[in-house]
Amino acid sequence: MTSVRHNLHNAGARGVGQMVIMIFFFSGLSLIPSSLYGSSTSLLVFAGAASKPPAEEVARDFMKKRGIEVKTTFGGSGFVLSQMKIARQGEIYFPGSSDFMEKAKKEKLVFPETERIVAYLVPAINVQRGNPRNIRSLKDLLRPGLRLGIADPESVCVGTYAVEVVEKNLNPEEKGKLRRNLVTTVESCEKTANIVSLKSVDAVIGWQIFARWDPKRIETVLLKPEEIPRIGYIPIAVSVFTKDRPLAENFVAFFHSPEARSIFQRHGYLLTVEEARKYTLPPTPVGGEYALPEGWKRRKMGR
Amino acid sequence: MRKKGEERYINFEKTAIFAALALFLFYVVLIMALLTFFEEKGFLEVLLSPDTLFSIRLSLMTATLAMLLAVAVALPAAYALSRLNFPGKKLVDTFLELPMIMSPVALGAALLIFFNTKVGNIIQEKGILFVFEFPGIILAQFATIAGLATRLMKTTLDEISPRYEAVARSLGASAWGAFLGVTFPLAFRGLLSAMILCWAKAVGEFGATVTLAGTMAFKTETMPVAIFMALASADIPKTTILILILTGIGLAALYAVRLVEKRPQIV
Repeated sequence: MTSVRHNLHNAGARGVGQMVIMIFFFSGLSLIPSSLYGSSTSLLVFAGAASKPPAEEVARDFMKKRGIEVKTTFGGSGFVLSQMKIARQGEIYFPGSSDFMEKAKKEKLVFPETERIVAYLVPAINVQRGNPRNIRSLKDLLRPGLRLGIADPESVCVGTYAVEVVEKNLNPEEKGKLRRNLVTTVESCEKTANIVSLKSVDAVIGWQIFARWDPKRIETVLLKPEEIPRIGYIPIAVSVFTKDRPLAENFVAFFHSPEARSIFQRHGYLLTVEEARKYTLPPTPVGGEYALPEGWKRRKMGR
Repeated sequence: MRKKGEERYINFEKTAIFAALALFLFYVVLIMALLTFFEEKGFLEVLLSPDTLFSIRLSLMTATLAMLLAVAVALPAAYALSRLNFPGKKLVDTFLELPMIMSPVALGAALLIFFNTKVGNIIQEKGILFVFEFPGIILAQFATIAGLATRLMKTTLDEISPRYEAVARSLGASAWGAFLGVTFPLAFRGLLSAMILCWAKAVGEFGATVTLAGTMAFKTETMPVAIFMALASADIPKTTILILILTGIGLAALYAVRLVEKRPQIV
């Protein structure tokens, strides 16, 4: 009897063991990307997170219309540039703003002649919906006890713009007050918006588009036109590592198609410089680079 | 016949050694690959720069505090799971693996969301500020390693027969006395290696820390965060140097584990 029970127990254990192995085996198989089973032509896009919602839609539209697989990797503009540079792969570089495109051009990682502007961005203050701390202007951010955040100014374009806004508009004493309220810098554009949604800070200096990303939780307080130092833009260009330059150029051109433009418009992005200029003074420069003051820098190499 | 058996055993041994060496080589190749972007002249400059020194100090300090806190909870918890029976024991045991299933970023996000709730707000306003602050790093690291610490310590305690403690109790020792005088010395090496492993994991923790504590230089920028930020700035030479520094610290800690680890004796 004991022996029968023992055998049954062993058989049961064997059954469970076999089941576990089968689960691991099939889970493993399901994790192998379909592209590895043998794929047709595809495009690898390294994209900054500033344009994630519309960029994904445009990529899907392109796939549907042209039957080309588009693989998009989103992240901080600098992070995805590093990935592209190290992996020496990718057809498209699509950062969140012009700063990292300038770096990519300097390092000869994109074909400069293929660069196109997809949308424009304007820096703004973003607060929690309902504006519980009654923040109405840049100077309101100096009030003691506020908790402020910006994106990391060295690696995330919107952080660089935030520093430029602070440096352009505040005197040294005011800058000191603002920096005392600055409780964090975060690693990506989308997290700069998220920390307002999660009420982790009272305000951030981000893009005016943030309120469109999460209208239920974020409210935008526009800066005065004279406080905006530059208009940002989202550029796109063909990577020098592309295996199919004509196809990559085709994808870049698709971002200027009426379908793609209507997607960006629906998501609240500014499509022309004239639209952006409604928030700024007429001579406000568009894009370019900003040399971050030493006080905001970590130690750098290779720049 | 016997010769054939011996040959098979030698082949088995060779295969095992080959697997061990292949694994070692795999990691060595990864480290060597870093050298393709390594700039020797910048090594000392990066190592001795104030932000790197701050990140090293911050990582060592927070990982030590997180490990000590984790051990303070994990040791009694491991004892309870190993020696005692109580309702919900299996459920508690299962939850120890939660931080390994739930990615560190998810853990960090859960903590960040928790501090957005009413209870979280009260803790933040009346107690300690965690979000984007120094205690946030410790909490993030603690959340990642506490389950692992309990699991490792439970395994160590499971290997020691409860009879030793029972004998000590029968000779008049108190429960505490029996644990401290009998079980603890026997488990010491295993507990110590569990502590070192958890410390090393806390030093390398990134996802939960970056989500809960942010990336602010000279405030919450631990070594793994500094590596991420260097990569995010497209500064690959600095990235490789920081990785090598963190790897050096991590390997030193893990080598220490090898020195104190209790090897299983099969007689």
